[in-house]
Parts: sequence; structure tokens; C-alpha cells
Amino acid sequence: MSVEHLIVILLLVPFVSAGLIGAFLRRRGELAAAVSLAAAAVVLIGSLYLIFGNIREEFSYDWMTFGEYTVSMGFYFNDLAALLLFVVAVVGFLIHVFSLGYMKDDPGKARYFAGLSLFMFSMMGIVFANNLIMMFIFWELVGLSSFLLINHYYHKPSAAAAAKKAFIVNRLGDFGFLLGIIWSYWHFGTLNLFEMEALVGADPEILHVGIGLLLFCSALGKSGQIPLHVWLPDAMEGPTPVSALIHAATMVAAGIYLLCRIFFLIPPDAMAVIMWVGALTAVLGSLCAITQTDIKKILAYSTISQLGYMVAAFGLGALVLDGETGTAIQAGIGAAMFHLVTHGFFKALLFLGAGSVIHACHHEQSIYRMGGLRVTMPITFATFTIGVLALIGMPGLAGFFSKDAILYLAWANSKAVFVILALTALLTAFYMTRLWLTAFFGEAKSEAASDARENGWVMTGPLVILAIFSVLAGYEFMHPAIFHDIMMHVPHAEGGDFALVAGVSISVLVAGLVAAWLFYGAGARKDRLEQHRPAIHSFLARAFFFDDVYDWYVVKVQQRFSSLINFFDHIVISGLIVRGAAGIIGFVSLGIKSAQTGSLHGYVYWIFLGVVLMWLFVGFIL
Amino acid sequence: MAEISESLLQLSVFVPIIFGGILLLFGTSANVFARKLAFVGFLFPALVSLWLWFAFSPDPETGYAFLTEVPTGLGIVGISLKLGLNGISLPLFVLAGVAGFAAGFYALVSPAERLRQYLALLLFMHGGLMGIFASVDVFFFYFFHEIALIPTFLMIGIWGGRERHYAAMKMTIYLSLGALLSLVGLIALYVQSGATSFDIISLKNALEGQSIGSVAQRHTFALLLFGFGILVSLWPFHTWAALGYGAAPTSAAMLHAGVLKKFGLYGLIQIGAPLLPEGAASWMYLLALLALGNVIVIGFVTVAQRDLKQMIGFSSVMHMGYCFLGLACLSAVGVGGAVILMFAHGLTVALLFLLGNCIYQRTGTFDMREMGGLARKAPVLAAFFVTAMLASIGLPGPGLANFWGELTVFIGLWQYREWMVVPAVFGVVISAVYGLRAAGNIFFGEETDEFRKASKGKTIHDILWFERTPALVLLALLILVGLWPRSLTDGINETVAPMYGGGDVAIEAADATPGSAEGAASYGFAERLPTCCAPPGTEVRTAIKMDNHSHE
Repeated sequence: MSVEHLIVILLLVPFVSAGLIGAFLRRRGELAAAVSLAAAAVVLIGSLYLIFGNIREEFSYDWMTFGEYTVSMGFYFNDLAALLLFVVAVVGFLIHVFSLGYMKDDPGKARYFAGLSLFMFSMMGIVFANNLIMMFIFWELVGLSSFLLINHYYHKPSAAAAAKKAFIVNRLGDFGFLLGIIWSYWHFGTLNLFEMEALVGADPEILHVGIGLLLFCSALGKSGQIPLHVWLPDAMEGPTPVSALIHAATMVAAGIYLLCRIFFLIPPDAMAVIMWVGALTAVLGSLCAITQTDIKKILAYSTISQLGYMVAAFGLGALVLDGETGTAIQAGIGAAMFHLVTHGFFKALLFLGAGSVIHACHHEQSIYRMGGLRVTMPITFATFTIGVLALIGMPGLAGFFSKDAILYLAWANSKAVFVILALTALLTAFYMTRLWLTAFFGEAKSEAASDARENGWVMTGPLVILAIFSVLAGYEFMHPAIFHDIMMHVPHAEGGDFALVAGVSISVLVAGLVAAWLFYGAGARKDRLEQHRPAIHSFLARAFFFDDVYDWYVVKVQQRFSSLINFFDHIVISGLIVRGAAGIIGFVSLGIKSAQTGSLHGYVYWIFLGVVLMWLFVGFIL
Repeated sequence: MAEISESLLQLSVFVPIIFGGILLLFGTSANVFARKLAFVGFLFPALVSLWLWFAFSPDPETGYAFLTEVPTGLGIVGISLKLGLNGISLPLFVLAGVAGFAAGFYALVSPAERLRQYLALLLFMHGGLMGIFASVDVFFFYFFHEIALIPTFLMIGIWGGRERHYAAMKMTIYLSLGALLSLVGLIALYVQSGATSFDIISLKNALEGQSIGSVAQRHTFALLLFGFGILVSLWPFHTWAALGYGAAPTSAAMLHAGVLKKFGLYGLIQIGAPLLPEGAASWMYLLALLALGNVIVIGFVTVAQRDLKQMIGFSSVMHMGYCFLGLACLSAVGVGGAVILMFAHGLTVALLFLLGNCIYQRTGTFDMREMGGLARKAPVLAAFFVTAMLASIGLPGPGLANFWGELTVFIGLWQYREWMVVPAVFGVVISAVYGLRAAGNIFFGEETDEFRKASKGKTIHDILWFERTPALVLLALLILVGLWPRSLTDGINETVAPMYGGGDVAIEAADATPGSAEGAASYGFAERLPTCCAPPGTEVRTAIKMDNHSHE
């Protein structure tokens, strides 16, 4: 079996699994879970072989041709792809295992696992794609699997609405993406990443800021950047393992991956826009997280904020342009991808920890109805704590290294962004400490919470493994030479800069942590911010009115506009013009009305007669 | 072997028509024999179409495969029954065969009164559809259209639903008008060509020697464009469509929206534009603008619909806009995209009408506001409908074939008029809005009170075998072509590349005064010429292509 075959087969294994379950195992939940898990295991083993076997490949097959224009199904496996594949395969497998426990008694289990397999297939397609069209196809496919999985509890109106919203908002981003692809095709004459990179390398002048920004729209939607982030908190309606896999660790990070994959297409002006969008998203996301009470929504806003971090990191890479364009951009890639990997592990850990808590508390999601879980769920508590510390950037854990790389980049390139990102770090420490103290400390604040018991190893096992990754993923010995292409570009501060960045990072961490501790206290029953500063609280709780604006748009603008056009279509075109014309003809034809019997049969005979007459006319007389 | 295929091609047209005649002439009851006969009548063309697809290899000289000729006694005026398939007609021929089978199969088990007559008319329609796309002779191309169209009127008038008389009347008047306009256009084309035969190949040969003058071309093409345009529901001549489909019985709607409606586009692509290149060039800008009307205006109209069947009808009008946009490019890419989209859209819209009726059987209403939560009672039906809906809105995945069509049209359109791609692609967002809203309203959320009331005391079945079979047939073909587009696109490309690829026509067109106020140079043709305004990447592209070859 050649390497090409291995890659194609690896891609198809989860696809076959999804197809099998969808076609034959709909009522056999257990078997469906086993098939899906087996597929994930094959993907894990195969991927590890590809990654650590140091196999790097590029190849493609023609899919369709019209004239000069050819679409190919192509694969391009380099260090960047290997890095994301590692996260997808490992986290994906662990979440399959965790789901065995979490979805044990769910009646739609088969459907759920089919969705997971479909997602694995689509995500791997994104990892491998060597051209933008293939990337777009799988981009839409991850959107589809995300839609199906958010919609898992479809009888809940909120879940159905969330799924629809996620899909449509993502399509809005993809609208720009597709335009960017079409433009690129005519601008570069190819959509193959390899060939485009060569073109840009030969002539950097060819870049166009419009193309860069349109392609960035993809990340705007999928990676929840402002203003298209609104779907992500709602997407928490899906089962928690799905939130961990799709809406925290992998799919939402695909936007950053895509940016890194096409970095050479993005000119400096577009980079500046990307940087600011990311920085703004980072700080707004973390502000919104402060007032949420649903444990998953806190984590969702936190994800938005962290994705903003990564996007900002990518954007920062371009700002040093004095003669060293190449290396400067790559520093952004290094920092963004590094944070993507560490975040993938600790955010998956946090979501699975939340899932473990939710499962134990009989689907209670409000942190003010939890409490005391420190004692009853020790493994979940310990691993969740590691996740929290990694996220807020505790020195020694993975998040510290990746976050400092980004902060250093910001310090070197844009002081304003540095301040914003440091503020975000402070807020992150603040809201995560609030969550941690309220949910795990104090006394149980509901019956469900007091009944909570630690889950079995199927659920705690993945937590422990992810916790290990969350600690170790930041150290250099974890990044063997195989990821060299990416990891060598992670910026490292030295000397004075190092002291400054690390100092700021640690002091904001401590400040946020202490402030939250003092303000909220352990195991609080009520939100103190809501009690003491209701104005600030309600402002933040509305999440900067994005949803209100969108609702207004959908209900008031879009609905009315389509009704108006419908009215126009009905009354003006169908009514006045068509029927009016018919009226005039009717007036003229009063004289020959005797021929109109009004019965449809009659007309049919007339038509037949006409056909026959015409035939005769044409055949004999002419 | 080859001769068998040619006989099969003829039989696929006549078997359904003859069987329909037998049903109509001998006996009145829909007994087992009648149903069996009808089943064979529906199945046979489908199998033949798949076989011919498999065996398709066109003669390089004419571009056609399976050419046969049957004398009709009208040889003196150049009319003979000449059948054959080329890369453009093959996909539509397969579509007609398979969609005809699906619609017929569903009709066989339908509870319609006077089922025998219903089946007979449907068989006529099926045979007519096969004939349209198998005809190489322009006269029979038109004749078979009438054979397929007249039963549609009758089926709507007799077996239709709400407002059926008004709908049948409006549709009859509208479509007869369209058909007549195009007939006049076709006859004008024939007379001016100086050819002695109505068949496309000799028309083409005749026009190669001496083409029609540009004024005559413009006028003749206008007749064809608006005649055929009405038949394809070109905006603003679309008002018959949703009304007609809303009233039509399911199988008739499936066949009309899925297949018969493609007649007009097919006529423009296969006959009109290649034979009257200058005329076509002068009208394309207007056509593209109207087609954008289909996409955007009708897109929003679709969003406003509350009736499921109307919504499907409008969405099909909207998607015809993409096909017209592909045609308007007059390039191999755009036209190829239009053909593949016609094929994919035909399957999806037939599937949607079928499933829409399945939903109606369970909810007792087409009003989407009164539906909700049906997925609980009918999960497999929900899966089918969501799949079909996502396919219809061009989501790669279930709708990979639709996506190929739309993407290719967009790519072609950029070359024609860059700004037009923006509203065209925005249509994709609009369709996501109505598609997902429909799926959500019908299947997800909680059950509505109306639905509870309507379903009281009844068991709501999930999708049943006779609904599932035609749905699976349509879906399987759609997915097959999506995953393996070359099975059709290689053939399409072989035909459209010589037809639309060349640049000679464009130069002549640039000098001509077009049908409307502006000059042809502004009609986009200039942009297709590599020498004058090639897209910025052209030289580079050539370089890459060469590089590619050395790479291989």
C-alpha cells in the first residue's frame, strides 16, 4: 500500500463508518458506537504513523474538467497539516471514548455517532486539502456535521434554532470565502496551494488585498470572529462532547489553520485588519464570558476569546516588514498554531470536564446550581483545575508558553494589541476563577449537584489523558523534529523582553485570580456582579447587543423585505402586468369568443387540430 | 452491439407512448395488468438511459452517438425522425429516464381516481421527455415537447389540487405562448439557414458555409430566447410556475419541474446559441440581468413563502436563474456548469416534490406554519427531506452535483462580468435561509396544536417503501454524479468545448450592433478574447499549465 493510498483510505474510513451507520445501524446504538469508535481508532493509528513516520506528500486526481478549468481532488500533507491532524486524531479519539459514557442512554445514539464519524471525515478533508475548492467542500461539510450535531436534540426549539443559526451565519462567512476563491482562480490561474505559493514567491506584487480579506471571511464565520461569532454560544445546545470536539478543539480552529495554510495569499494590509479583528474578538469574548451562568456558555465565550488570540497572533506576524517579509509572517503562524494546539487540548479538557459535571448533575448546566463538586467528583475536579490553570496561563503549563509567545509577538509589533491581549488575559483569569470557585467549591446548591457522583473510567480516562497533554504540550521535548517547520517559528522572547512579557503575563494572571476570589468568594449562591452592579451586568449579559441586532435584522428587515418583494411579485407582475395583458387580449377577442367553449378538453382538441393542420401545411402545401 | 443501442434508443421513446396508448384504448380499470404494463413502461426508458450512458462514445465527426433515422414521409420538407445523443443531451436524457421512473413508480401506488388514465398520460409525458432529448431533428424536438406538455395541462386540470382550473388555464396560456414563440423562432432559423433538413447537424453544416445576417440573427434569437425563456420561467415570465406546481399532482410536478422545464434551456444551449452566435451575443447581457432577477428577487420571494409546495416551486424558479447565468457566459465553462446544474437540479426538485407530498400525507396541510416536530414520528423521512433540501441549496455533500454546477457557473460568470458573481453567490445565502427554515419548521421543534389535531387517532408512519424507493433512486443518482462528476462532465465538455470554446464568433459579434442599445463589445465578448482583456493571471496560468505537464 503506497502512502497515497494510505492517506485516501484514512480519509474514507470515517466516511464509510458514517454511511454504514446511517444506512444500516440506525436502531443499533451500541453497534453504531462500536463502528464509529473503531473508525476513530483506525484514524488515530494511521495518523500517528503518517505524522511520526515523517511522511510528507502532495498528490492529486482530476475530478472534473470544463475547457481550461479543472477541479482536482488533491492532498497536501506537510508539517502544518501533520500538527492539526495530530490534534484532530487524538482529541477525536478521546471524545469518541468519552461519548460512550456520556451518550449511554441517549435514544439517538446511532445518529450521534454517525454525525461524529461524518465530522471526522470532513475535518480530515480540511487537513489534507491541497486546493481551495476541495478546502471549501470540506469546509461546508464540517458545517453540515456541526449542524447535524447541534441539532441532536431536535425536539428542543432552542436546539433547532441554534443549528439553523450556526449554518446560516457560517454560510454568510462562506459567501465571502467562495467569492475569494473565484477571484483567486482568475487572479492566479490556479487554486492549488503549492502553485499559488510559487506564483507569489516569484512576484509578491501579484497579491491583492481584496482576495486576502475575502478568504479571511472563511475564518470569520467558522472561527467565530466578530461580527460572525454569534452562532458559537448558541451552538452549545449540542451534546457536550460535540462542543468539546467541534466547537472548541478542532472545527472552530480550522479557520486559523486555513489562514496559516494560505498565509502567502494575504498581503500586509489585510494582515492588519485580521490582527484587529482578532484582538477585538479576544477582548469582547472574554467580557461576555464574565456574566454567563451556563457553564458551557462561559467556555464558549472563552473559546471565542481564545480564537481571537490566535487570529490576532496570525495577523501580528506581518507587521514587521522591513525586508524580511517571509520570516515575519511565519512567526505569526508559529504562535497561532502553537496556541491552537495547546488550546485544543486544554479546551477539550475543560469541555469534557464540564460534560462530566453536567452528566453527573443530570443535565444541570447553571454554575449557581452546582457547588461542592470538589469533594464528590475528585478526578473531574483535579483535571478541570489543570485545564483552568492551563487556560489562564499558569507558568509551567501549556497555555503559559503559547500565550507568552503571542504576547511577545504583540509586544514586538504593536503595543496597542499587546495591551488588549494582556487585558484579555486578566479577564480570562477572572472569569475562569469565578467558574471554578462557584461550581466546585462551597456546598451543593441543588439536589442534582448533591447527588453527583464521579463518572466511570470511560469518561474520566480521556480527562486524565487530556490533562497530561495540557501540562506537557508547551514543552519543547513534546515537539519533535517532525513539526519542525512550524515550531521553529514560534517566537521566543529573550532577555529584557522575556522578563517584561513573562512579568506582565504572570501579574495579570495573579490580578485576575485574586480579584475573582475576593469578589465572588468560593461557592457563591448568587452572582455578586448582578447584585451589586446590575447595570454593568446587564450590559455585559446582552453580549454587546449582537444578537439583538441580528434578531432585528431577521425579523424586521429580512422578513419584511421578502414579504414586500413577494407582494410586488404577486400584485405587480402576476396581477397587473400578466392579468392586465390578459384582460386586454380578452377585450379584443370578444368577437371570436364563440370558439371558446371554456372546457379544457375543447382547447386540447383545438391544439391537436392545430398540430395536424400545421403538419399538413408543412408536408403538402408548402 | 451498437445497433442494439440504437434500437434501444428508439424504443425508449416509443415504448412509454405505445403503452400509454394501450392503457387508454383498451379497458378502463386500473387492474393489475394495467399497473404492470405501466411499470414496465416507466422502467424500460430508465434502464435504457442508464445503459446508453454507460455505452456512450460519440462519433468525433458529428459529436453524436447512436444516430438513427426513420423516414416519416416528410422528407421533402426535411423532417425525419432522427435520434441520437451528444454530451449535452445525454445528461438530460438520463435525467428524463430516471426521474420519469421515479415519478411513474410513485404514481402507480397513488390513490388517484381514474388511475388508468392518469398512468397513461404520465406514460405519454415520459415518452415525450425521452423524445425531446433524443431528437436530433428540430421538428421532432419540438413535437415531443408538445407530447409531454399537453398531458401536463390535463393532469393539472383533472387531478390537480387547489385552484387547479385557474392554474391549468394560466399555465396553458403561458406555456402555449412560449412554445409558439419558440416554434416561430425555430422555423425562422430553418428557413434562413438554407438547409434542406431540420436536423441539427445539417443545420450546423449549412450555417458553417454561410451564416445568417446579424440583424436576422438578433431577431430570430429573440424569439427563441423569450419563447424558451417563458418555458423555463425566466424572470419576470415566471408567474405560472409556482402556481402550476402548487396545483399539479405530485408526479406531474416532479416531471415538469424536474425535466420538462429544462426543454427551453436545452433548446437555447443545443440549438439557439450555437447556431445564432451573433444573435445570442447581443441578448446575453439582458438575459444575465433577468437571470439575476430569478436569483435575487425570486430568492426573497421564496423566503416569504409559507406553503411548502409553493416554496419548492419558487426555489426551482430561482435555481433556473443560475442555469441562465451559465448560458449567458457563452463559454465552455459557463454552459457546462449550466448543463450539470440542470441535471442535478432536476433530480433534486423531483425529490423535493415527492417528499413534499409525503409530508402532506402525514400533516394534512402544506402550510409550514402548522407543521413542526415531524422528525420524531418520521425520522427517516426527515433525513431524506433534509438531505434533499441541503442538496437543493447546493451544499457540497448531498448536493455535491448541484455544487459542481453552481461553482462552475460562478467561475464562468466571473469571466463574463465580475460584479454579477457577487449577487449570484449571495443567492447561496438566501437559499440557505429558506431551505433551513423549511426543514426546521416541518421537522424540528415541538409539535404544533394543528398537527396534533390533524394527526389525532391516526398513526403517523415513517416513510413507506413506495415513497422510499423512488426517493432512493433519485438520491443515488445525484450522489453518484456528485462523487464522480466526470461520468457526465467529460461528455459535456467534449461537446460544449468546440461549440462554445472558440473565439472567432466573438470577433464578428464585436462589430455587430446588438438587439438593445449597447454595443456588443460591452456584452462581455471582448473579455473572452485572450489578446485584449485577458484576466491578469492568464500568462501565469499558461506557465503553470506547462509546468504541470512536466510535473506529470
